[in-house]
Amino acid sequence: MAKTSDTCRKCVLDSATPGISINEDTGLCQFCEHFTSLSQEKIKEYGTRMDSLLKSPPENGKYDVIFALSGGVDSSYMLHRIKREYPHLKILAVQFDNGFISDTALENAQKFCALTKSTYMRLSLDQEALQVTFSKAANSFNAYPGAAKYRASDICNTCISIIKQKIIELAIQTKAPFIIFAFSPGQTDAPFVTLSKPILVWMRKLFDQNLKAMGVTDREPYLIDAHLIQPGSYEHEVVIIHPFLIWNYDKTQFKKECIQQGWIDPNLKDQNSSNCLLNAFAIKNHLDKYHIHSYAYDLASLVRQGYMKREDALKKLTIQISDASNEEIKRKLKL
Amino acid sequence: MEEPRKDILDFLKKQGFLNEKTRLQDNDSLSETGVIDSITLLQLIDFLEEKYKVQIPVEMITPENFDTLAGISQSVIKLKNG
Ligand SMILES: [Zn+2]
Repeated sequence: MAKTSDTCRKCVLDSATPGISINEDTGLCQFCEHFTSLSQEKIKEYGTRMDSLLKSPPENGKYDVIFALSGGVDSSYMLHRIKREYPHLKILAVQFDNGFISDTALENAQKFCALTKSTYMRLSLDQEALQVTFSKAANSFNAYPGAAKYRASDICNTCISIIKQKIIELAIQTKAPFIIFAFSPGQTDAPFVTLSKPILVWMRKLFDQNLKAMGVTDREPYLIDAHLIQPGSYEHEVVIIHPFLIWNYDKTQFKKECIQQGWIDPNLKDQNSSNCLLNAFAIKNHLDKYHIHSYAYDLASLVRQGYMKREDALKKLTIQISDASNEEIKRKLKL
Repeated sequence: MEEPRKDILDFLKKQGFLNEKTRLQDNDSLSETGVIDSITLLQLIDFLEEKYKVQIPVEMITPENFDTLAGISQSVIKLKNG
């Protein structure tokens, strides 16, 4: 019988996914073939840099940190740990209400803000417009070119891009020097990102193009306020920090600690999200369109770096979306 | 000095999202063709800084300088020649 596809013997990527090839001799995908792990010295160097930034933040404004809080395990754990390690930080924790976050996630976020004495902010945009935007993302094809398609589904890329744009906007408006995202080492490779004005203009332009390709006409509400980044505008520097690239990433441990602190498991039956009801639908939509599982690249990267067992990642890649919840999302998005 | 163009292409191939079939012209937009996104761009900058022992100032990282093979190559050469 002819072999139809191969799975990388180190991570979980599969040659059935367009763009992924498995070397017949080594049994490895192209990412594992070229992978070198981060040295301990390098991680230590990053840790020292994070300390020097967060131990004595420049006194710019009301907050030291704008924190992206979903209410899921990763960001709840991180908020708690950041505050434990850097208790002096004044944090504004922002939860983006995309219309599909679970009640438990809302509760968890507020609980962890109270616990860490962080200021809680629920960021809401026009819900009806947002639903139309998500349904446009669901119906779009190739709005996010190349690499982005492997990192997340079209729906999630849209949602996370909105969050990024709005959080950066908040940081500039409130003169906060730092932004913290709880991205896993599978989701990003850069522990620090210094946002210069040209980079912000570039990021804004790229997301504007993605939205345009999806057919979104009213794009301004989703983008950084253009006035804030025009020449002659703000002068202070904003740095994004991804602490999970410096600390050991151990999701099982994180969940345990979160639960000890009163975090409630919403039991969404979604293997990959503990906060967003749209996620499982978004994965299926992406898989149907491109034959790419939007978590495969992320999970493969965690396995490759030794943060997750291969069999656990493979388990997470089996989609579980009930017909009932699928239909409910479709109805909500008018698909 | 060896042309950085080849190193950039090799790097992008290693990153895995540029396959042998893609015909990339020197002035094609890397971000619009999806060859790089913001994460890959930052990795590429790290790689170039290490490889060519240069410090790439953030002000230099603009679409004009860093969105094409030609632009990135020239930027690196400019930095290297001081
Ligand atoms: Zn692999």
